[in-house]
Amino acid sequence: MAPLIAAANLSKKYGSHVALDNVNLTIEAGRIVGLIGPNGAGKTSALRAMLGLTTYEGRLSVLGREPFRERTALMKEACFIADVAVLPSWLRVDQAVDYVAGVHPRFRRDHAMNFLSKAQIGGKRRMHELSKGMKTQVHLALTMAIDAKLLVLDEPTLGLDILARRSFYDALVNDYMDETRTIVITTHQVEEVENLLTDAIFIAKGRIVLDSSLEAIAQRFCAVSVAADRLESARALKPFYERYILGKTVLYFEDRERTQLADFGELHTPSIADLFVAKLSGDAS
Amino acid sequence: MNNYVWLIRREIWERRAIWLVPAVMSAVLILLALFGRTQFISDVPMESPYVGKVYLGFIAGLFLVIMMLYSTLYLLDCLYDDRRDRSILFWKSLPISDTDTVISKLLVGLIAIPLVSFVAADVTSVIVAFIVSLRARSMVGGALWNAGTWLQMQGLWMYVIVTCAIWYLPVAGWCLMVSAWVKRAPMLWSVLPLLVIYLIERFFLGTHYLASVVGYRLGGYTQAAFHGSLHTDDVTATVWQFIDVGGFFGNYATWLGLAVGGAMIIAAIQMRMRRTEI
Repeated sequence: MAPLIAAANLSKKYGSHVALDNVNLTIEAGRIVGLIGPNGAGKTSALRAMLGLTTYEGRLSVLGREPFRERTALMKEACFIADVAVLPSWLRVDQAVDYVAGVHPRFRRDHAMNFLSKAQIGGKRRMHELSKGMKTQVHLALTMAIDAKLLVLDEPTLGLDILARRSFYDALVNDYMDETRTIVITTHQVEEVENLLTDAIFIAKGRIVLDSSLEAIAQRFCAVSVAADRLESARALKPFYERYILGKTVLYFEDRERTQLADFGELHTPSIADLFVAKLSGDAS
Repeated sequence: MNNYVWLIRREIWERRAIWLVPAVMSAVLILLALFGRTQFISDVPMESPYVGKVYLGFIAGLFLVIMMLYSTLYLLDCLYDDRRDRSILFWKSLPISDTDTVISKLLVGLIAIPLVSFVAADVTSVIVAFIVSLRARSMVGGALWNAGTWLQMQGLWMYVIVTCAIWYLPVAGWCLMVSAWVKRAPMLWSVLPLLVIYLIERFFLGTHYLASVVGYRLGGYTQAAFHGSLHTDDVTATVWQFIDVGGFFGNYATWLGLAVGGAMIIAAIQMRMRRTEI
């Protein structure tokens, strides 16, 4: 089966600034992919290109379509929340539901109404009367009620309190996600989505730093806490990053046999957040 | 088609001024009729159809002028506003093409806003005529209730809405282009480039091409769509005698404007596809 998203030599320039630099990536159907990178890394440019919101150089196919030329057709099968709370301030909640129900063939009104009543948001209220968190809830209610093959979320829970964030991710996994759907998600709170991701893509300065499934990450990467006296011999195995913490040095290795490393100390698989820091700082030094 | 129903409904939800402005004007005129002077036309015979014409023409003209101003402001703002508040990211997440979006705004600016004004002018005219007839007893059954004059007014409105939409298409297209493109101050940018070209032309080339083209487009409507002058002392003259359908559609400037306006609208759609945020 053809991949759901395929990019080949994807580039995007704003004047002399290169936001995406010959990016190659594929995303298969049924995955939950985290697109992780610092601010200005090109995350948003990549998402905007995939959603047909911007022109680009190179080849890009999403759900078998060319996003910029075929945005309208694409949006019947893909939906997105770009950043937070961009619902217009004058719009009433019931108008928003009516409008999306009117123009979107895959919108399921009862799903949206359920979500809204659970969040206790009344239909007659205008967006400017709602808190940022409630506005995001409305947007989520609208988007999750669309029976889409691809859902793109750009910082979906920014501005939500921890309870609302947790219930959002629970709903995403339990009610929304199944093997026919694919989710691409960017967030600063990597820890929060780590448990639901199947794949992680690290992006920095417009380039892909890492593109891997979580299982493969667990196999490829290993962190070892090394006591000071063993440090020099451990360094001989070429860790790509070192971190000094609580009197011990943690060394990060890529593609090294665990048996080789076991002598030096306690082994563990780095978290996505740690790996991200390690990978970005390591490659820069 | 279904999409257009929702797109236009969306505009009416957002722009409450589409009906609020005519409603306020209507209320003001009704208050004036209730408490103001009724003998506003004293130097013509009361039974003259001229009274009805002046009266209906005054109300229609007032609505028409305000409508044109509002429509221009609307067209300048409509593709800029949702980029500024970033709600464009929500609208673009729905399966509606940029072509449909831009055309829907054009239809609201050139057809919906004028139609609302037309209905408001009609309703206001009936109510005010009724009030004035009751207050100024001499007019009861007289000039204000001339069926022929009323019918002429309906025809005139329809003719004006259709011909204005055609004649001012390049103006609307220009407004949409500016609205789809600029990062700030669409009103300023709608004038500034024209002013710069005008000044360059004037001081470096000594010509006035742009000024005459723009001036003709903005000020030449009545000349293009009507015979002679609308102001006449001939009380028997009807609207049908002034309407110049053949002249309007036989004028190359009408068709040239349509082509230029169409090209500008296509450009505005292309800009809308590319400019997502400010």
